[in-house]
Amino acid sequence: MNNLWIILKKELREVFRDKKSLAMMLIIPIFIPFLVFLMSFLFESQATTDITKYNEIGFAYEVTEIEKTLLESMGINIHEGTQAEMEQAFLANEVYVYVTKNNSEYTMHTKTSDESMYATTFMEQYFEEYKKVLQQNILTNANIDPDSVINVITLKEEVTKEDSYFASYMKNYAFLFIIMAITVSATYPATDATAGEKERGTLETLLTFPIKSRDIILGKFLSVSLSSIITGILSFALAFLSLYFAKDMFTIYANTDLLYNIPALIIGLLIIIIYSLFISGICIAIASKSKTFKEAQSALTPLTFISLFPSMIAFMIGMPMNNILAFVPFLNISMIFTDINNGIFNGIHIALMFISMLIYIVIILYIIIKQYKSEKVLF
Amino acid sequence: MIEIKNVSKIFKKWNEKKKAVSFYADKNITFTAKEGEIVGILGPNGAGKTTLLRIIAGILEPTTGQVLFDGKSYQKDEIAIKNNLAFLSGNTKLYDTLTTYELLEMCAKIYQIPQAKIPKSIKDISEKLGLNSFLYQKVGELSTGQTQRVNIARCFIHNPKYYVFDEATTGLDIISSQIILDFIKKEKAKNKCILYSTHYMEEAENICDRVVMIHEGQVLFLGTPKEIKAKTKTTNLRDAFFKLIEGGKHE
Repeated sequence: MNNLWIILKKELREVFRDKKSLAMMLIIPIFIPFLVFLMSFLFESQATTDITKYNEIGFAYEVTEIEKTLLESMGINIHEGTQAEMEQAFLANEVYVYVTKNNSEYTMHTKTSDESMYATTFMEQYFEEYKKVLQQNILTNANIDPDSVINVITLKEEVTKEDSYFASYMKNYAFLFIIMAITVSATYPATDATAGEKERGTLETLLTFPIKSRDIILGKFLSVSLSSIITGILSFALAFLSLYFAKDMFTIYANTDLLYNIPALIIGLLIIIIYSLFISGICIAIASKSKTFKEAQSALTPLTFISLFPSMIAFMIGMPMNNILAFVPFLNISMIFTDINNGIFNGIHIALMFISMLIYIVIILYIIIKQYKSEKVLF
Repeated sequence: MIEIKNVSKIFKKWNEKKKAVSFYADKNITFTAKEGEIVGILGPNGAGKTTLLRIIAGILEPTTGQVLFDGKSYQKDEIAIKNNLAFLSGNTKLYDTLTTYELLEMCAKIYQIPQAKIPKSIKDISEKLGLNSFLYQKVGELSTGQTQRVNIARCFIHNPKYYVFDEATTGLDIISSQIILDFIKKEKAKNKCILYSTHYMEEAENICDRVVMIHEGQVLFLGTPKEIKAKTKTTNLRDAFFKLIEGGKHE
């Protein structure tokens, strides 16, 4: 235990005194707030497109006063002219929809562009309103109370609060940033503590000390894990704070719940810790097989993609968690995090995920300890 | 006493057909080193000295044979042996980010020197080896000679019974080399058991009581420098070595 502590202290000193290791620990967490605000801004501008971008509508007939009043009240800019003129304006994107009329039959001419689609939806709302106005006039002229005919039923809406598409996307991606930060943070000290130590020639010194190889490798594993846990917690805190402030700044977060309750926060932190231990073990196992720092870094590069890829796919296709997926590394932690992010606490899934990850960590440590007894790994 | 009994080490290398072939880095090496004795391991580069000394220091495992320290083997008493052993090679590197003091403190703790005695131990060693001027400087900022002095201090801090030196003076200037040679002589006087490998034959002749001459992984001769010179009818170890190689070829 004493030797383990000495090795851990030595490794931590090396990590915290090395500018590159420190930079790797902090660089992605520092970028998280920028990424959250930038992406929120981009989503916000996409979600709340200004009405003036698609309110230019053409009418290839003479618009009545009633229509004009209604159209103006809905903020629609009226362009009147012949059908040929309107078609030309439509092709030149001066109007996004134009309407032709044959007696009481109206035809909307649209395109598949975003602006035209928005304008079409807008015009559909207008025609609903216009139809209602005409119906009311007919009924009033016939001395019938319009309400008794039109509003024969009363419709109320009770909306269950659910995250908007963009808000849920952002919350999931904030978690992916955390995963990426932890992975990147683990790779550098893991490389330095294994292949780096071999390349610098200090491994030979270490092996002549009266320390069991188990203590050497556990000391290295704990120091790499600790640095990635620090990165993970820092990233988690910054992502949470960024989303907390972004919630008040951007309308895409209206009705969105963040991880406000204590159990969700605790599970979130435990996920970060278990993932940090897991990825640190994998990084050490891979890097210790390399002879040089450069070789180890090349071997570890795909790990960043592997750590993100399954989670991204799961987010995109909205894959639901199940007992089998709880055993799939990388995927299980991101899916549990998404669940608790959405207020779903499935005890069995959470327990299976933590148990399977602990088993993987023990297996990885066993492999690394065995590797460190092999001369092929040492020289 | 250190006993090396029939130690062999087989490695694999790739031939021109890219096939793995086995070769002996060391083959059936047997000798002993007693207390108060400096045994030189001599041979050219690639003779198998470093592999042998790494086996003796417990860094590598022999393919066959065994190494005993006062009857104890690495298989059963690894930690006890390493607690009484110091290994220093010309390639031994230290932790650049630690200061000299932090490094010596770490070594003292690893060798289980009581916490209360550590500052005094470091102070005594620093005075003996002249480390005071760079005691709180990071190892990475030291010159080659200063680093090697720190290395000696690291070996010395736990007052070991056995020393294994592998080309410890290679690449050092004359003053730094002399510091190491003086240190080795002083430790010998304290009845320590010392194995000293070098390819500088003159250096070995100066400090070794007995020498083991190795060539291509095998022992060519084992005896005192005087015995080797007498057998080969030469006046120095360098000439003796070449005569032994020639003899081996004729045989």
